[in-house]
Amino acid sequence: MKFGLPQILAARHEQFGGIVATERPRALVHLDRALMRRLGYGPSALWDNPAPSPLSAPTEVHLVLSKRCAAGCKGCYVDATPKGEVMSLDDAKRSLDELARLKVFHIALGGGEAMDIEYLFEVADYARTVGIIPNLTTAGLTLTEAQAERCRVFGQINVSVDGVGAAYEKARGFDGYDRAERALRLLRAVTRHVGINFVVSRSSYDGIDEVARLAKKLKLSELELLRFKPAGRGGGAMFDAEDLTPEQARGIYPKALRLALRRRLRVKLDCSFAPMVFAHNPPPALASFFGVQGCVGGDVLAAVHPDGVVTGCSFGGPPEADGRQVGEFEAAWKTGFRAFRDYVATAPEPCASCRYLSLCRGGCRVVSAARGQWSDPDPGCPRVQDYRAKNPPVRHSMPIV
Amino acid sequence: MSSPGKVLRVTFGANPNSSSLGVDVTFLLFGTMAASAIAVLASALLRRARQPEPKADV
Ligand SMILES: C[S@@+](CC[C@H](N)C(=O)[O-])C[C@H]1O[C@@H](n2cnc3c(N)ncnc32)[C@H](O)[C@@H]1O
Ligand code: SF4
Repeated sequence: MKFGLPQILAARHEQFGGIVATERPRALVHLDRALMRRLGYGPSALWDNPAPSPLSAPTEVHLVLSKRCAAGCKGCYVDATPKGEVMSLDDAKRSLDELARLKVFHIALGGGEAMDIEYLFEVADYARTVGIIPNLTTAGLTLTEAQAERCRVFGQINVSVDGVGAAYEKARGFDGYDRAERALRLLRAVTRHVGINFVVSRSSYDGIDEVARLAKKLKLSELELLRFKPAGRGGGAMFDAEDLTPEQARGIYPKALRLALRRRLRVKLDCSFAPMVFAHNPPPALASFFGVQGCVGGDVLAAVHPDGVVTGCSFGGPPEADGRQVGEFEAAWKTGFRAFRDYVATAPEPCASCRYLSLCRGGCRVVSAARGQWSDPDPGCPRVQDYRAKNPPVRHSMPIV
Repeated sequence: MSSPGKVLRVTFGANPNSSSLGVDVTFLLFGTMAASAIAVLASALLRRARQPEPKADV
C-alpha cells in the first residue's frame, strides 16, 4: 500500500455525508457531512433526510460478462460451460453508462472466463472513460504476454489458485497449476496490483498456507479467501462434501491473521466469512470503521448478469431490474433488494439479539437458502451452531391413536 | 468554530472478485486507538488531497 498525499479520483454524496475514492492509498473513504463540505462537496438533497438510508448506489458492481468458460472447474458457482451465454459489447457499455450515472466506483469483471472474450479490454477501457475502475478475476490458464501487458488497465487483478501443484487439481478437477502460476508471473511483471483468489472448502483448507507462501514469494499484493458457496456446480452433494467443518469455520479468522502477520501479506476474507470473524468478538466500532461486514448484497454490491438481469449478489437473489435499460437499476436500488435489506429488521434468533447483527446481516443468504430458508441465519456461523445445539428445533410428532 | 469533520469508514484496495466483497481483516489487529489515529490522519491528508475538477457536481 502506498501512502503519500492522496489523490481523490471520484466522490459522491450519501445521506451520512459522502464517499470519496482515493489513490495512494487506494481506498474508499466514507466521510461525514462536515468533512465533505470542507472538501468542497456539498450540500446535497440527500442531507435533507435525517434517517439513515441505504447507499445512493452500490460502491461496486460485478459485471458478469459471460457464463462461458472452457476450464470446467468442478465447483464453479456460475456453472460456466464452453457455450455459455455472453453479454454483447453494446450491452456491457450500456450497463456501464448506467453505473457511471449512479457514480459506482468500481466494477469487477468476471464470468465465465472474461479473458477469453475478445472485447474484454474494450470494456475495461470504456469503464475508465466513464470514470469507473475496472478490476478482474481470471483463471489465467491461457493468458499471453500481450494480454498481460494490456492488463495494466485494471485496478486489481486476481488469479484463482485453489492450491499449489496437485492441490490445485484436487480442488478444481484439472491440472492447471503451472498455467495459473505462469499467469501470476506474467501479470506481476507488468503491475504490482496482482493477487490470488483462493476458494476455501473443506478439502482445500489445509492448502491455504502453501498458497500464502506462493503469494509472498511472487510479491503479490493480496490473498483473498472466498468461502465455498452452494451455487451452480458447487451446490447439492458438492456443497455437502465441501462446506467447512465447524472447526474450520472457527479457525479461518485466526488463520488469516496469523498468515498476514507471519508472511506480511494482505489477507482478505469475503463478506460471507463475516460470522466467522464476528465469532471472535472484534470491537464492533473497529469492524465498522474498516468495513468488515457480512452480506453486502443490495447494500454495497450488486451484480449484472449477461442477460442484463440485476441481482443483489452474484450467487443469488431475485431479479431486480434490467441493468441495460436507462433508469431501471436506479429505480430498483431506491426501493428494491428487499430479500437482502430486510434481514436485519426481521432476523430470527440468535441473530436478533446478536450485537453484530447490523454489521453481519446474518451471514451468507445463499448458504442459508441451501440449508433451509433464504431468511434463516447462516448455519455456518459458530454462534448459530451453538444456539441450535442448545435449542434444537421442536419436532411435532403425530399422536398415536 | 465549525466541526472539522470525520472519516467514518475506510476500505483499502480494490475488490477484483467477481463474486463477493473482500475486506482486509488484518486491520482488526490494530485496535480502536489505531483506528482513531487513522481517521484523524486520513481526514488531514484528504483536506490536502488533489481533487478532480469540477468538484461541485458530485
Ligand atoms: C466463477 S470465477 C470466474 C473468473 C475465472 N474464470 C476464474 O476462475 O477465476 C470467479 C471466482 O469465483 C470463484 N468460485 C468459483 N466457484 C465458486 C464457489 N462454488 N464458491 C465460491 N467461489 C467460487 C473462483 O475460484 C473465482 O475466484
Ligand atoms: S448470530 Fe447472526 S448476526 Fe450474529 S454473527 Fe452469527 S450470523 Fe451474524
